[in-house]
Amino acid sequence: MTSSFASQFNLRSPAVKRLMKEAAELAEPTEDYYAQPLEHNLFEWHFTVRGPSDTDFAGGLYHGRIILPTEYPMKPPSIILLTPNGRFEVSKKICLSISGHHPESWQPSWSIRTALLAIIGFMPTESRGAIGGLDYTPEERRELATKSQTWSCSACGPIKSLLKDRSETPCEPSSDNQEAKELAKQIRFKEIDSGNTNQRTIKDSEQTMDKKNDENLTMNSDSTNIETRRRRIGVVHHDHSATEGSQKIPQVTPSISLNSPSYEASVQSSRTRLSSYIIVILILAIAFLLFRRIFLTDSE
Amino acid sequence: MEGPSNAESSSKDPVKDGWNPDINQDEAIIAQQRQIEKDIADSIKLVGDKMDLSFLLSEYPDEDDVYKNKIKSLLKKYHLLRRTRPDGNCFFRGFTFAYFEYLITDAQELDRFIDVSNKIKDDLIALGFPSFTIEDIHENFMNALNSLKTKEVSNEEQLLNLFNEQGTSDYLVVFMRLLTSGYLQKNQEFYSSFLDSGLTMKNFCSHEVEPLNKESDHIHIIALTSAIGVGVCINYLDRAQGDQVTVHYFPDNCDPKIYLLYRPGHYDILYLRKDDV
Repeated sequence: MTSSFASQFNLRSPAVKRLMKEAAELAEPTEDYYAQPLEHNLFEWHFTVRGPSDTDFAGGLYHGRIILPTEYPMKPPSIILLTPNGRFEVSKKICLSISGHHPESWQPSWSIRTALLAIIGFMPTESRGAIGGLDYTPEERRELATKSQTWSCSACGPIKSLLKDRSETPCEPSSDNQEAKELAKQIRFKEIDSGNTNQRTIKDSEQTMDKKNDENLTMNSDSTNIETRRRRIGVVHHDHSATEGSQKIPQVTPSISLNSPSYEASVQSSRTRLSSYIIVILILAIAFLLFRRIFLTDSE
Repeated sequence: MEGPSNAESSSKDPVKDGWNPDINQDEAIIAQQRQIEKDIADSIKLVGDKMDLSFLLSEYPDEDDVYKNKIKSLLKKYHLLRRTRPDGNCFFRGFTFAYFEYLITDAQELDRFIDVSNKIKDDLIALGFPSFTIEDIHENFMNALNSLKTKEVSNEEQLLNLFNEQGTSDYLVVFMRLLTSGYLQKNQEFYSSFLDSGLTMKNFCSHEVEPLNKESDHIHIIALTSAIGVGVCINYLDRAQGDQVTVHYFPDNCDPKIYLLYRPGHYDILYLRKDDV
């Protein structure tokens, strides 16, 4: 297959050379993952990963696309899951970046294999609503895992036959799986196509609304500000415990998703809540002043 | 102002003050950033041609004595300047270009650096970097060094072509970044004390050193120059008091092969006056 690419692509391009090397490295399916470029396009790959054993995804097989930029490996690949899985949204671009406060950073020393392992490692982690993720129940995920075995890709066929069969000792986690877990700690996914709205769950937003302060959402009602902050909320929620302050400002919990209509609703509702508090306080203050006035006139 | 159709649509807008729920502000901001990057990329080459250093005088207003005096002092020692694109890689790219330019003239140093680069690859893999990609990045770097050795690249024009081919050029920058990261991690006992508390060296490197387009600080410069044993002299042109540019050598007291000009946020390459060499 690689020889056919040689005639189509500029071999002097570092991206082409690199992708051909990666295609050769990943040519043999492993038990956990397999990925190859499409026959006619070195910059689009299809992959299959096995759901990690001892999780709700055990037994599941998940297929997707990897889109590589022409600047690869200087710019990150985007990943699109195609098989419904209950953890990542389907048909939505997500990309890899390192955890922490610089969501844009990708390291050229990572590769497609890194991306595959990161997906596997990421599946059992909590999505916490933030980043192109879904919080389906364990039952739903197990059901999807079972269904996924019969899933078929229009380009690659039934995905069941794409991976190497699992050996008879499934209890022993493979070294790939270990690596995947390690990677999941360092790497995170970022939703790219934030234009689509999507429904996700809100946890406890009512309960925590008045309790804490979140620096990411002040009551500045400048909408543009909220819009940019909204992005930050998605990426900095791990810092959350450190940002408690003394001001009483309604908080949007980290579990609220990016761009979801419910998120907007909660911003709206937190605003109305604050204004009703202010109204109550003002009424009380006026009442107090009135009483004071009355008493003062009485005592004269 | 703009016409009836526009006025009509804005009156339908449920919330005024420029807030339009149909526009995704994140995407608008990202698009704007991309546009700025593109404008810079279109107007400034990754590594530009040499130009007369005295043009700097025209970049600052006449009454700006601090800068004018400092530039005049700079002109006594240097006469040419080569600009680099301000994309966050200017230190690494400028340093590497200037060093390669030197390597064309010094075969012995080239051989030494080839050995150093090979050893660095092994060090990086030993440190736990993924060998597959390190091999790839190292191979690209060595291809460039070998083209110097075989004289395939033997003059300024050829070197400029090499450095202005984005893919190749970025690979060179990435290798320099990785070796800087490797050196910092290998010597973290010493260098960790320069980091903010709570930040591990591994974390610092993966956030601030390895990714492309991350700007360089002193710690990057000290690590890079120490790792490959190549001295650099940096002239700081800023608002600090005095008539002279501030000059720093990395590592301390080195005999520099590379001369750079630093203006807040950016590095360019400087060339000594011939009679000074």
